[in-house]
Amino acid sequence: MSRESTLLVRANGIRIMLRLALVWPVLTGCALWTTAATAYPEFQQFTEKNSSRTTNCAMCHINPNGPVGEGDGQVGRLTDKELERLNKARSALEPGQDVDSPILNEFGNHIIKEIGKSKFLELRKDPGKLVEALGDKSDLDGDGIPDSREYAAGTDPLNKFHGDPWLLFVNNLKRELVHVALAIVATTALVFGLANFIRGLHVLTDRKPGSD
Amino acid sequence: MKPGTALRSVTDFLAGRFPVDKLDFHSMVEKKEVPLHKMSWGYYTGGLTLFFFLVQVVTGLLLLFYYQPTVSDAHASVEYITQHVACGALIRNMHAWSSSCMIFFVIVHLLVTFAMKAFEKPREITWIAGVMLLFLTFTFGFTGYLLPWNQIAVNATKVGLQSVEYAGAYLPGTLSELPRILRETFQGEASVGQSTLGRFYALHVVILPLCFVAVLGLHLLQVQLHGMSQGIDTPSPTSERFFPIFFSKDLEVWSVAFLILFVLALCLPFESFLPFPLLEPYDPLGATPAGIKPEWYFYFVYYPLELLPFWVIMLGSAVVAAGLFLTPWIFKGTSRKTLAFIAVAATLYLVVMTLFGEQIYHLVKG
Repeated sequence: MSRESTLLVRANGIRIMLRLALVWPVLTGCALWTTAATAYPEFQQFTEKNSSRTTNCAMCHINPNGPVGEGDGQVGRLTDKELERLNKARSALEPGQDVDSPILNEFGNHIIKEIGKSKFLELRKDPGKLVEALGDKSDLDGDGIPDSREYAAGTDPLNKFHGDPWLLFVNNLKRELVHVALAIVATTALVFGLANFIRGLHVLTDRKPGSD
Repeated sequence: MKPGTALRSVTDFLAGRFPVDKLDFHSMVEKKEVPLHKMSWGYYTGGLTLFFFLVQVVTGLLLLFYYQPTVSDAHASVEYITQHVACGALIRNMHAWSSSCMIFFVIVHLLVTFAMKAFEKPREITWIAGVMLLFLTFTFGFTGYLLPWNQIAVNATKVGLQSVEYAGAYLPGTLSELPRILRETFQGEASVGQSTLGRFYALHVVILPLCFVAVLGLHLLQVQLHGMSQGIDTPSPTSERFFPIFFSKDLEVWSVAFLILFVLALCLPFESFLPFPLLEPYDPLGATPAGIKPEWYFYFVYYPLELLPFWVIMLGSAVVAAGLFLTPWIFKGTSRKTLAFIAVAATLYLVVMTLFGEQIYHLVKG
């Protein structure tokens, strides 16, 4: 082999290696984007520290153990159609897009729809700011406590029977005020009637024969 | 002591506790008087315990319509009751809240009657039946805790049953096998599973209620036969008739208790105090989640158990249990002042351990 052809082969080799070096991370990223899933423990850590309550991935994910694995709502079990939905959800970088990720629950999907994937990834540095970013408007379980507050308090945003006990009590009391008032009226009337019935019964039984 | 003398002592004892001449409506209801003094409020605590037991019976019967005692369906049936059955959440919440209220008032009733020396002759059987009701109430709590079949229920039951077996190491001879046999009997299989759920369910809804009603009947019969205890050292100059005055007042107290229970059950879900991962269905293949602990009414023994050697707690529990049953004889000549002091000390211990047990645990363990 001549010197020129040896140099050419070497140059081509270097070019191929350079191209590979450039393309490899992109290929790896794409492969990871479609197959593996990433949980974001920063948010869970914030919630637990802020509320002193134990939480788990079920706050945002379908599976309490997170998105990685072969279980329900985990990447290993997704069908082709579900993978398509997953990829679509992951490309929702801007807010306002319809998100229906098969690994996220209603609250998880709501976060991405509300703030977009880009902002969400940014907030990993300061997970406490997710509370402000979500705002007070959304209350998915309808318990009267905004989802953002449930996130900060470490309570279940999708269960209307779970929330900060005091806030739940106040909200439910306002909502059920009519029922409470009716219960008070009914119970008072019942006890008044029963007490008088007992006293009347006593008067009748206590009367000596011939006292009339 | 000769057998004849012993038999006569027993018959004399029973004759004094079951006076046949008083077994009529006139003596047990019409003639009965309730003393009026500064501790009169204590007479209502027993009635409140009975009220919450009745709520437990009614709400428990309603829950039976939908609850499925199988490991595959138990959690789902509880979810179904809460989410889909009309008033299901309210009924379930009432059951949960009233169980706690019942345990609270049974403890208050015990402490108050102790301080009032309501166990002295001829009320020994009333006291012993009351202590039996206390233990039955705790057993109700323990067996009922498993039924929702969620993470905290199964894991806490595992810990509880394990503790029973540990006790064997401190018992002599063949007695050391007893806790293991007890655990296996109640557990029914190698680990907490379907057999355990079935047995706890049978205990919770059939066996314990039958035992409770029988002992409660004895307790109430004794209360009516011997009347209310004096309660204070100087006999009260004033009193009121049990029927209809005290009975009507008792009904009024029950109505207030019902309203408080209703508002609590309607507005404050009992489970909102627990972290939500502990309410998920039990996963036999998963790791034990953090934060597993028993219901609040076991904290007084749970936190000391975490801090002190097991034998200390076992010895302490055995002494307290024996002491409770033998109270009428141990504290026979004790003044009400001393009894009140002991009751206050016990109350302080229970309150501190229940409210601050976790903080004390972290403080000691660093």
